[in-house]
Parts: sequence; C-alpha cells; structure tokens
Amino acid sequence: MAENDSFFSNQAAKVFVAGHRGLVGSAIVRKLQSLGFTNLLLRTHAELDLTLQSDVESLFAAEKPLYVILAAAKVGGIHANNTYPADFIAVNLQIQTNVIDSSYRHGVKKILFLGSSCIYPKFAPQPIPENALLSSPLEPTNEWYAVAKIAGIKMCQAYRIQYKFDAISAMPTNLYGPNDNFHPENSHVLPALIRRFHEAKVEGAKQVVVWGTGSPLREFLHVDDLADAVVFLMEEYSGFEHVNVGSGKEVSIKELAELVKEVVGFEGELVWDTSKPDGTPRKLMDSSKLANLGWSPKISLKDGLVDTYKWYLKNIKQ
Amino acid sequence: MAANDYFFSNKSAKVFVAGHRGLVGSAIVRKLLSLGFTNLLLRSHAELDLTRQSDVESFFAAEKPQYVILAAAKVGGIHANNTYPADFIAVNLQIQTNVIDSSYRHGVKKIIFLGSSCIYPKFAPQPIPENALLSGPLEPTNEWYAIAKISGIKMCQAYRIQHKFDAISAMPTNLYGPNDNFHPENSHVLPALIRRFHEAKVQGAKQVVVWGTGSPLREFLHVDDLADAVMFLMEKYSGLEHVNVGSGKEVTIKELAELVKEVVGFQGELVWDSSKPDGTPRKLMDSSKLANLGWSPNVSLKDGLVDTYKWYLENSKQ
Repeated sequence: MAENDSFFSNQAAKVFVAGHRGLVGSAIVRKLQSLGFTNLLLRTHAELDLTLQSDVESLFAAEKPLYVILAAAKVGGIHANNTYPADFIAVNLQIQTNVIDSSYRHGVKKILFLGSSCIYPKFAPQPIPENALLSSPLEPTNEWYAVAKIAGIKMCQAYRIQYKFDAISAMPTNLYGPNDNFHPENSHVLPALIRRFHEAKVEGAKQVVVWGTGSPLREFLHVDDLADAVVFLMEEYSGFEHVNVGSGKEVSIKELAELVKEVVGFEGELVWDTSKPDGTPRKLMDSSKLANLGWSPKISLKDGLVDTYKWYLKNIKQ
Repeated sequence: MAANDYFFSNKSAKVFVAGHRGLVGSAIVRKLLSLGFTNLLLRSHAELDLTRQSDVESFFAAEKPQYVILAAAKVGGIHANNTYPADFIAVNLQIQTNVIDSSYRHGVKKIIFLGSSCIYPKFAPQPIPENALLSGPLEPTNEWYAIAKISGIKMCQAYRIQHKFDAISAMPTNLYGPNDNFHPENSHVLPALIRRFHEAKVQGAKQVVVWGTGSPLREFLHVDDLADAVMFLMEKYSGLEHVNVGSGKEVTIKELAELVKEVVGFQGELVWDSSKPDGTPRKLMDSSKLANLGWSPNVSLKDGLVDTYKWYLENSKQ
C-alpha cells in the first residue's frame, strides 16, 4: 500500500461518521478529533435519514467522503426488540445496505461496519471466537437485530470479493461510557446500575435490590477503548473476517454491582433478589485475533465507571 | 375472517406479481389467470427497478395492490454466486426490503415471499424441516443469496409480530419447467440435462457424458405445482413460520438422467464420468407441514419432463 493510502497518513481526509451522536459514534468522533482529524462529515438523523436510499446516494455524490465509519443503527434492549422487531430488522438493513452500497459506488477508500456480540449464537462456545458466526441458532430475543447485522457483515465481505472494496467489520462486546442510555426501563445492566445507585444515594434509600444471584459473568469495554480499536483497525486491518473487540476481562454481576456502588458512593445495602432470573451464565468474546494484531484496551473497569459516572452527573436531566 | 377477506373470494382484487417473467413468477401468472384472476399488476424490470426504494414506494402508492407475490430475485448457480456475491446479497436485500416494507405501508392485505432450499444449513438433517433454519453453518457457495433470503423470512415474521401484517414465506425445493434457464454453463442439473440430450440427439452424437456416479439423491418440483402451492398458501396459511414446498419424492441423478434421455428421445449412450465429483449426497425437503395443511403436488417427474421438453422445443433459440 502506498504511503498516502493509510488512514492516519492524511488527517484532512474526509471521514463520514454515521451515527455520530450515539454511544459509539460520539466516542469515535472524540477519538478522531483527539488524533487531529479535521474534516469530519457528520449528519444528524433530522439532516439525513439513512434509511432513505436516494438521500444517502445524494449525500455521497455531493460529499465524496474518503472514509466511512458506520456506527448508525437502531439499537435497544430485550423489550424493545420484542415489541418493535420490524423496526429492528428493517431500519438496520436499510441503513447498512444504503451506506455500504453508496460508499462503494462513490469511491470511499475504506468502510468500517459496526455490530455487536448479539450476532453470535445463543449457545456459542465461551469465549466466543469470530468463527462462531452462524454456527448454531440465534438468541430469539434479539434475532431481528442479529440477522440484520449478520447481513451487514456478509455484505461487506461480498463487496470485498466482487469489487475489492475495503470493507471491514468490527463486533464489540458490551459497551459503556458517556452518551449511553440510562433510561430506567430499557438501559443495559451497567448504566442501569449507575442510575439506580445514584438515585438511591440522592433519595437516601436504605437499599438497592438487584435481580438474580449476581453470579453471571460479563465482559465490558469502555467506549473510548472501542473508538481506539476502531481507528486501529482502520489503519491496520483489511481482512475478510469480522473482528471481535472486547476487553477480555470478565466480572461477575455481583463484582460489577459492588464496584458501581463504590464508585457512586451509595452507602446503603446491596440486596440480591435470588427469586429473579439470572440470565445467561457467561458471555465473553474471544478477542485474541485483535490482540494478535497488536491492540489492547487501556481503561480499567473501575476507571471507566468513574469516568462514566462523572459524565452522568454532568449530563443527566433531573 | 369475513368471507370477502379470502384470497379466492375476489378474483378482481389487484394482485402484484413481482418477477412475473421468471421461472416462478411466470408460472404464478399462468396459475392466477387459469383461476380467473383478472387484475394482475405486472411490471418488467425496465418498467420498475425493485432495488429503487422511491420507485417502489411511488408504485405502491399509485397502484395499491391488495395482494403481493414476491417472486422477483437475483438468482443463479454456483459460479454466479461466487463471482458476483455483492449483487446476490445487495440486490436481493434491496428488492425484499423495498417490497415488504412498501406492501405494509400501502395497505396490502397479504404478501407471500419466495425463497429456496438454499436457506438451509449445509449439513441440515435430511429431509430438511423448517426448523433447521439457522441451526448451523450455511453452504459457502450460496451464503450471500441465503443470508438475503433468510433476512426476508425474518422481515416477514417481524412485520407480522409488530404490525400484524399478513406476511408469509414459502421455500420451494429444486424447481423446473417452462421459462427455466437452459444456458449451457450456468443452468441447474435438470435443464442442463434436457439441453445436452437434445443437442446430442440433434447432432447425432454417440454418447452423452455426465459427471459423477449418478448416485446423489435429489428432489424436483414442477413449477406449476409450486404455483398451485402458492395459491393454496395465499388462501389458507397465515402462520409465522415459513413453509417448505417440495414434492417429497427423491430420484437419483442416474434415474433423472435416464428419464430425461427417454423423454428427449436420445438413442446414444449415457456414460458416467465417475472421476468427477458427485456433489452433496442427498437433498430433500421435509414438506410434511404443507402436506398436513392439505396440499400435495399433481405433476409427476415424467409428465413434468415431457411438458418442459415440449416448451423447450417451442421456445429455445437454436
């Protein structure tokens, strides 16, 4: 590859970050700016509906970005997936198909497509390697989103084969950090715990009750680490297969809850309602492929929680 | 359901058959006409490019069909899938997403989405039941097409769940009949055999050499039977799961070749080149679900081959 072909070699290159206001997209924007990228192409949903094929085509024809980071997606928890399955599959298929196709047709040099660990089978081996993809049935509660994201991975691979288009895919583990969703009903476990311990502290509650035994093992990655991995892959990776992006570090839900309690500074009691379900016993991605490429995360869970809680205090509406 | 809600109850209802010029679509049009349907909405690819979202939306807004039969797709054999994977995944995703979504948004009563047995895992149990979907890795040579078709099935299911949209999916086995592809290089085994025996007869060749041992088992369904099943499902089936449409009858490639030789009237020798590969040992769909609903095929393989050869003689370019 010629010198001026690498991602870092030209920080005035136009980079389109689709979904720049979300948890992932906003972290990627922060990272690009911190690295000195000066020419970011950003469009809100109101300015550009990525589900509209002709609008996306017009944007690409007019703007001709050199690089694209596709972090725009319809995301949500179990309840949202169960209630709005049509939105989860159709919106994501439309966004992906439009952005990947228009990227190819308008001369984008490289695109990185983001998904999540939801793409993997319900009973994938743990830790989950990249080749577990499509090896057995999906988790029914997020199969709509998963099928769409798998189609996106396959679309990137297909465009690489047929057109030699430099399209790569990265699949992060559970992410947390600034701009996460702290909604009381549909946030994921980590932001939910932050919110609940914070509210309990503010209200002077005596205890916080958490469902289950606390024994399930989970992996978390601070979104700034994910953004760092994304720019690393944009620079270094042009392989066919998608790449898992995880921290490789597991914690039990109990350890997580105790850490959140400490970071938030809640002094009441943490109580486990063991009559409630635990959820899947273990979920850990195998990120050895990325580690072997030379990348590793920097943010410990404790430091990440401190950073996230700080952001939460500054930004939440009371 | 009120009497006038049934598919057969109103033969002047507007029925959009997408892909009406292909093997499957043309058979469906023949069947609808023979049943007395008078209001078929048909558009060639030149008239309506189904990959164009706004064109499809305008079309549905203007025409407001009551029923949609989605038989339009980009199809092809192993070589085509390997060479044009981007086309196979993207074009099919675009067609499906546009047509299913526009159908819902413009008041279509019912849509049937057609796929094929390629959606199933490479090592699915034989006969292949509907619940084999996504239970294991796909056949790599057609995974692009398969992922797109699986996404279509899931999209129909998702729209049924979220919007109570009557969207069903039918997955036929290997089809043959009028309007099939008889191209010397990329046709499937049955039309390829018809063509080769015919040309050998016309040229007075002494023998026809067929690859393999002839032992693999295959299932074939005449496309007029498929069209009949589609009518049946439009009238009778509104379930979440897709439905296999097969004949349930297996033949060996050897039996098939001998039958084609007899129907075409080639008097030379049929020779097996057993140094060449056989392909997968067995491929049979489990169509018991459809049988239990009350449908069975009418066209025997011999009668179907006679009918197909007759069409070939009348229609193929010499």
